[in-house]
Amino acid sequence: MGDATSEQEILRAPLTIGYDFQRTTGPVIGAFFTALREHRMLGIRDKAGRVVCPPVEYDPGTGEPLTEMVEVGTEGTVTTWSWVSNLRDGQPLDVPHAMALVQLDGADTAMLHAVDAGSPDNIGSGSRVRVRWRDESVGGIRDIVCFEPIEGGDHG
Amino acid sequence: MSAERVAVVGIGQTKYAAVRGDVSLPGLLREAAYRALDDAHMTMDDIDAIVVGKAPDFFEGVMMPEPYLADALGAVGKPLFRVHTAGSVGGSTAIVAASHVESGVHERVLTIGWQQQSVSEAMWALSFPIPFQQQLVAGAGGYFAPFIREYIRRSGAPDDIGILVALKDRLNALKNPYAHLHEPEISYDSIKESFMLWEPIRYSETCPSSDGAFAMVLAGEKAAEASAAASGVNPAWIRGTAMRSEPATASGRDQISPKAGQDCAADVYAQAGITDPVADIDMVEMYVPFSWYEPMWLENLGFAPEGEGWKMTESGRTRRDGDLPVNCSGGVLSTNPIGASGMIRFGEAAMQVRGQAGDHQIDGARTALGHAYGGAAQFFAMWVVSSEKP
Repeated sequence: MGDATSEQEILRAPLTIGYDFQRTTGPVIGAFFTALREHRMLGIRDKAGRVVCPPVEYDPGTGEPLTEMVEVGTEGTVTTWSWVSNLRDGQPLDVPHAMALVQLDGADTAMLHAVDAGSPDNIGSGSRVRVRWRDESVGGIRDIVCFEPIEGGDHG
Repeated sequence: MSAERVAVVGIGQTKYAAVRGDVSLPGLLREAAYRALDDAHMTMDDIDAIVVGKAPDFFEGVMMPEPYLADALGAVGKPLFRVHTAGSVGGSTAIVAASHVESGVHERVLTIGWQQQSVSEAMWALSFPIPFQQQLVAGAGGYFAPFIREYIRRSGAPDDIGILVALKDRLNALKNPYAHLHEPEISYDSIKESFMLWEPIRYSETCPSSDGAFAMVLAGEKAAEASAAASGVNPAWIRGTAMRSEPATASGRDQISPKAGQDCAADVYAQAGITDPVADIDMVEMYVPFSWYEPMWLENLGFAPEGEGWKMTESGRTRRDGDLPVNCSGGVLSTNPIGASGMIRFGEAAMQVRGQAGDHQIDGARTALGHAYGGAAQFFAMWVVSSEKP
């Protein structure tokens, strides 16, 4: 018998796990996804009167249940952004694009999504963008393919 | 410095069901948590810290739910953390919460156990063929069935004791509006004729898969008495808490009556001043996911001599009209949201000594034992609660 600390081959083996899960959305997130399927955007009014989009089930400050769904626009304003020029697997678009925080018209908070701006010259804080919808929507965040600049808008 | 006295002053639970598709995961927790706060006549503003517990993340596929539970529970600005000890987690979570009050660090602590079994298949979620590791390929029932067989061989128990336990617990569940399984038609014969899953465990002798949550508010002496004055419900004073663990597999370990369970019981009885468990304890909420574990745990917990636990079951002593009622709520055999199941045992014991168990109340229950076990019968958590302040 050898010494366990002596030099020897250390075995390795792969472990790939696959398993099925389901998700329940609850009334608020469920309404948001259902509206996406109809190409509409919903937010929710929090206890301070702000419209939070995407909506949350409970007030971020007080924890109280929130119920007042508010339809917001499908156009909005870029608050901040980053340019993705080197494309890798798993990114939302297969052309160079921006990842941006977009505050939809009527909302008081911004959401992160891709903007197909073509060039970093076409986007900036304050740029106006609109939703580009997927043709066959299913009720998920990827029903929004991305945002795109509104022609003639301010590019910051 | 003496430890602070601790009491359960608020209890809340969800209706348990195979699928609670009407709520999100945080919504499920809130349902129990806010009912417990209402019961305690408190709001989240009164709570100093939150301790949550659930079974393995892989059971739901939600890795680390704690981060987003802080705001979803209304716990912003407060300490929130999680406990995990396999199936016993609901019990150990309550004990960790109690220790924070006992130590004097916090005065009022909210504790919640939960599980959404409907979103996955917990039976096989721990059975992956992990390279170079011992593999659990059986599912929980397949793992425990051989130990039940060995118990029957050692004790010489008649082979229908498990049927009697299942019948008792399912009938008890009919008196508990929150229980998952309500089977008014259940009978000795229907259990006996149910599908044999892992001999000697039949389908109707196993726990269901449930969605649900259970929550408690624990408070120090001063806060407990103020809460009781407001709610008009007597606190359940915690007289002792204990946890023990041991290896899943080790040569010489007795899986029929694990030493960790015996030691845990002896410890909690000593703290609570219990010298004769059958005489001193009025009712037990015991973790029985497979029917035969009732007689096995009756022995492990010192209620019966070795080999004689089944006689207590057979003679009806563990029925709600017996001298040691076990699982008046219907037990794990009627409701099993895994991460909550241990806390339900602890909380149902507290409900009994608070006199708030409704139709399944045992009249005059003053001292009760809550018991949970987990893993390969290797984690144990127990507490004794009483209507009498220690």
